[in-house]
Amino acid sequence: MGITRDRKRFREVGEQRREDLAEFISHGDLGGSGPDRIRIPIKLVDLPEFVYDRREAGGVGQGQQGQPQPGQPVDPQPGDGDEDGDPGEEGGEHEYYEMDPEEFAAELDEALGLDLDPKGKRVTEEVEGDYTDVARAGPRGTLDVDEFFKRGLKRHLATDFDGDYVREGLFVADADVDDVFTWARTKRIPVSRAWIVDAAAELETELETPTSALDRWESFDELERELQMEPAHARIGREGFRTVPFRREDERFRHPEIIERRERNVVVINVRDASGSMREAKRELVERVFTPMDWYLTGKYDEAEFRYIVHDADAWEVDREEFFGIRSGGGTRISSAYALVAEILEEYPFAEWNRYVFAAGDSENSGTDTADSVIPMMESIEANLHAYVETQPGGSGPNARHADEVERALGDADNVAVARVGGPEDVTDAIYEILSTEDGAEATSEPREVSP
Amino acid sequence: MRDGRLDAKREAATLAEPAREARALAERLGLTPYPVRYWVVDHDEMNELIAYEGFQRRYPHWRWGMNYERQHKSDRHGLGKAFEIVNNDDPAHAFLQESNTTADQKAVITHVEAHADFFANNRWFGLYASRGEDGPNAAARLARNGDKLAAIMARSDVDRDDVERLIDAVSSLSDTIDQHRPVDAARTRPDPTDGTGMAADESLATIRERIDDLDLSESVRREVFDEEWLDAQEQDADVAEPRPDVLAYLRDHGKRYDPEGGKAVDREPWETTVIDAIREEAYYFAGQKLTKVMNEGWATYWESIMMGGEGFAGPDEFLTYADHMARVLGSPGLNPYKLGFELWTHIERLTARRDVIDRLLRVEGITPETFHSRVDLGEITESLAPHPAIAGAGPATLDALADLARANDPRVDADAVDRALSVRTGDRDPAHGPDIERYPWKLLTFEGLAERHYVLSRPEHCGALRAVSRATLQERARYMFDVDRYPTVEAALADVDRTAPWRRLFEVRESHNDVTFIDEFLTDEFVREGNYFTYEYSRAGDEFRVASVDAEDVKRKLLLRFTNFGKPTIVVLDGNYGNRGELLLGHRYNGVALDETQTKAALERVFELWGRPVHLATIRTEYTEEAVRRARRRGREPTGREVGVRFTYDGEESTEHELEKSIADQIAAETVDYDTKPDEWLA
Repeated sequence: MGITRDRKRFREVGEQRREDLAEFISHGDLGGSGPDRIRIPIKLVDLPEFVYDRREAGGVGQGQQGQPQPGQPVDPQPGDGDEDGDPGEEGGEHEYYEMDPEEFAAELDEALGLDLDPKGKRVTEEVEGDYTDVARAGPRGTLDVDEFFKRGLKRHLATDFDGDYVREGLFVADADVDDVFTWARTKRIPVSRAWIVDAAAELETELETPTSALDRWESFDELERELQMEPAHARIGREGFRTVPFRREDERFRHPEIIERRERNVVVINVRDASGSMREAKRELVERVFTPMDWYLTGKYDEAEFRYIVHDADAWEVDREEFFGIRSGGGTRISSAYALVAEILEEYPFAEWNRYVFAAGDSENSGTDTADSVIPMMESIEANLHAYVETQPGGSGPNARHADEVERALGDADNVAVARVGGPEDVTDAIYEILSTEDGAEATSEPREVSP
Repeated sequence: MRDGRLDAKREAATLAEPAREARALAERLGLTPYPVRYWVVDHDEMNELIAYEGFQRRYPHWRWGMNYERQHKSDRHGLGKAFEIVNNDDPAHAFLQESNTTADQKAVITHVEAHADFFANNRWFGLYASRGEDGPNAAARLARNGDKLAAIMARSDVDRDDVERLIDAVSSLSDTIDQHRPVDAARTRPDPTDGTGMAADESLATIRERIDDLDLSESVRREVFDEEWLDAQEQDADVAEPRPDVLAYLRDHGKRYDPEGGKAVDREPWETTVIDAIREEAYYFAGQKLTKVMNEGWATYWESIMMGGEGFAGPDEFLTYADHMARVLGSPGLNPYKLGFELWTHIERLTARRDVIDRLLRVEGITPETFHSRVDLGEITESLAPHPAIAGAGPATLDALADLARANDPRVDADAVDRALSVRTGDRDPAHGPDIERYPWKLLTFEGLAERHYVLSRPEHCGALRAVSRATLQERARYMFDVDRYPTVEAALADVDRTAPWRRLFEVRESHNDVTFIDEFLTDEFVREGNYFTYEYSRAGDEFRVASVDAEDVKRKLLLRFTNFGKPTIVVLDGNYGNRGELLLGHRYNGVALDETQTKAALERVFELWGRPVHLATIRTEYTEEAVRRARRRGREPTGREVGVRFTYDGEESTEHELEKSIADQIAAETVDYDTKPDEWLA
């Protein structure tokens, strides 16, 4: 009881004290997070104390092999300066509030007023649903016993009749087998003529008189007036089920219903200009815009794949770890990246995948590359969204016209977004701009007030 | 605790015997532990207990939730496997995790028995234990505090957040107590009113304020409340001597800031209740913090004697146990288990060696000068080996032990030998006889066990005699009367008291805490053999570097780490600073500066308990950029300038001020120097 209460309270306290999400995205340390866990610093959750400055205090260590030489660099010993440090206990990284991408996406929706509703695309599997379909053959284990019994019972009811009642027909004056059979049929008694023949023969042997001579009843009408046919259920109630006939043809085997699942899957291609003009500050802004978007889409979709392309005059694919750090020399030809995008996207048919193409750079491009090559490719590559993020601290230069040209040419297309980021303060606006633009998204989402 | 579950019950049943036998063995080894109640708990319950610092019920607080998450996380990564939780109480409560292997459980049980012995016998634990008639009664006390605080939080006239904020504030200061005195003695004033009808724990400023509120004419005011009267009042809150128990001072003289009225007001009674509860708990945990190294080392030492030496781990369990031990002792960094274990072993070895040397130096013809040439150390090690029947006590040596018993040998438990013999002859039901196959120690007494485990006969320690230096020998010889008492080495060795080392350990265990323990027993030899070193931060290199391997330096650094819980000493300097009823705390500066971020945050917590502006005086070393640059060029450390600083928090913002010279002088260090940096880095 206690620990549930205290954990809940810790969650609440952590939530109150964690950095504001927009603040975290714009200025916080994104490096502590991984693709599965987003770690948002909590402002001083552990209680403050009067303690020594770690650097001023120094410490004591123990050499593993021999005594070390003074001057040799060492890492401060784990657990040192922490009197609760039991062996094997993990060091004190606890000033983070952790959320998974789903929570992050929900929080970002809340913080930025986004409302992205991912579409299910690829049929990923035909899963077995409930065992609601039936077939006539199947493993014994799946035999639908209820059904089997019900069918048996139905058959029983259908073929069962009150034999004594039919036999009485033979006692009607002048009635022979055929008369009784005709009468029974008009009464909808499921009796065969053969049965009546047998019954008549039996009676004749028993009473030693032909049945036509038996006349207990003047007519069938009188018989009906005097005797009530016993209903089948009453007879079953009296005689029990042993007489219910089970037949092979009554067997029904249940098997699962096949349900088509459409997965909400997305492929995100992050493209970044790595040319010489992309200095540290610009690269960092790209990371600030792209990383939260990756988390967001990871949280929104069932499956998210990320591919990373960097380019200068040529384009090549890299791992995520390298993506934000690479810096190459050379010029810039943005279309080289889109050619690679088109190639990579062949692995992800648009019919089966949601596709996002995010490109970023400082808007510099060579010659007429934007108009001649990039724009036509952006038009031809099918995607939910094409975005270009211009990172240009201190405003764009005269040659930096890629963003402008794209905006002029495709600004009206509902799957193209262009955002400009001059500094960390623009990051959340850019993210909003991009993520609120999507092919068809406007149609489904209600306009919402943006709460920064 | 749930004990209706099958697994826990089954586990508990299998552990009943090990627990009983471990207790019997511990007592035979000379330990006198508190009774221990063992509980078998599952994994989640274990994590919960860890979160609550070893107890089942604590007051509601988010910190426990944080601990739990942290434990849970390290658990997931396979780290921080919990082996034992035992709390200092009479009886002690120990918790065993049901999923541990039997070898682990046995190790925990032996470890716990030794902890319980430490709790019962160490004087620093006694500080807490002696405070109630019924012993420490810790679990009940903490549970009671839990109920009390939960009830306060549930009150409709009390805001839960206020209670939590108060708990936070007091917890922040839980190390600024006077841990060297019992909780009540450390309090300044036991009597809340002193006959004036006015609570004595009111600061002078409040009294002045009240007088002002009375709106008396100046003449009346002077007549009734003259300066002399005010001075008399001031005695209580006045700080003639700096007071180390900051928390008690705040409790007695502090107030609460009322944001609506914009001034300090008296506390509600519930607030004092909260402060008292948390402060009481701080004293309870202080005992453990003061003796962490000793206590963990003690438990590890006896665990190794019982598990390894006495085969408490069965042959099939021994490897698991050895692995467990290696992990406990092998974790990196300064490890209290390892440091303590090594220090205890070191004391044991030194005591034994001293005893042997003293006797050898009394042999005719042996002097410090001739010691190493005259004494055949190999021979000595051989003669110090335990009697074969003692060493190999068990079914095979039963007859030899019986012979010794008949000769009234004090090392043999004659009674047990007798019973074992009658089991062997079939006169006694084996179920009632001592199981000497599994518990051979039952045949021996304390003396017998001391011989069996005599440190200088253990292979890893017999080199200690060889390592003795001539200087040490001379030192011993100097104080020796009665030289030339033994005719031969054999005669001298026959007198060696093999119980001396353990008796010495018991003595040390009673009176020391970590600081005195390290101060007294950390020797050159220890530092050298353990490869201990100090490290310091190099400003020039912006990294930590090995600074010294000198024993004195290592000891000083360790003392810094353990003195006052390894925390800076904070005292109350003035309860009426600037004559405005403000609080001035002082950091007793010993050359090591405070972490300023934390200090400022902690000062805000102090404000919560004082209600008026609070100040903290400290000293820090400032370096000019120029000095750092120059030092870097020359590969030296820059010289800084020590500057007095006063941090202030007035309820709204933190500020920094220059410190008055007189106060700076008051807090500056006397002669301690914890800096172990060399004049010049060799690297």
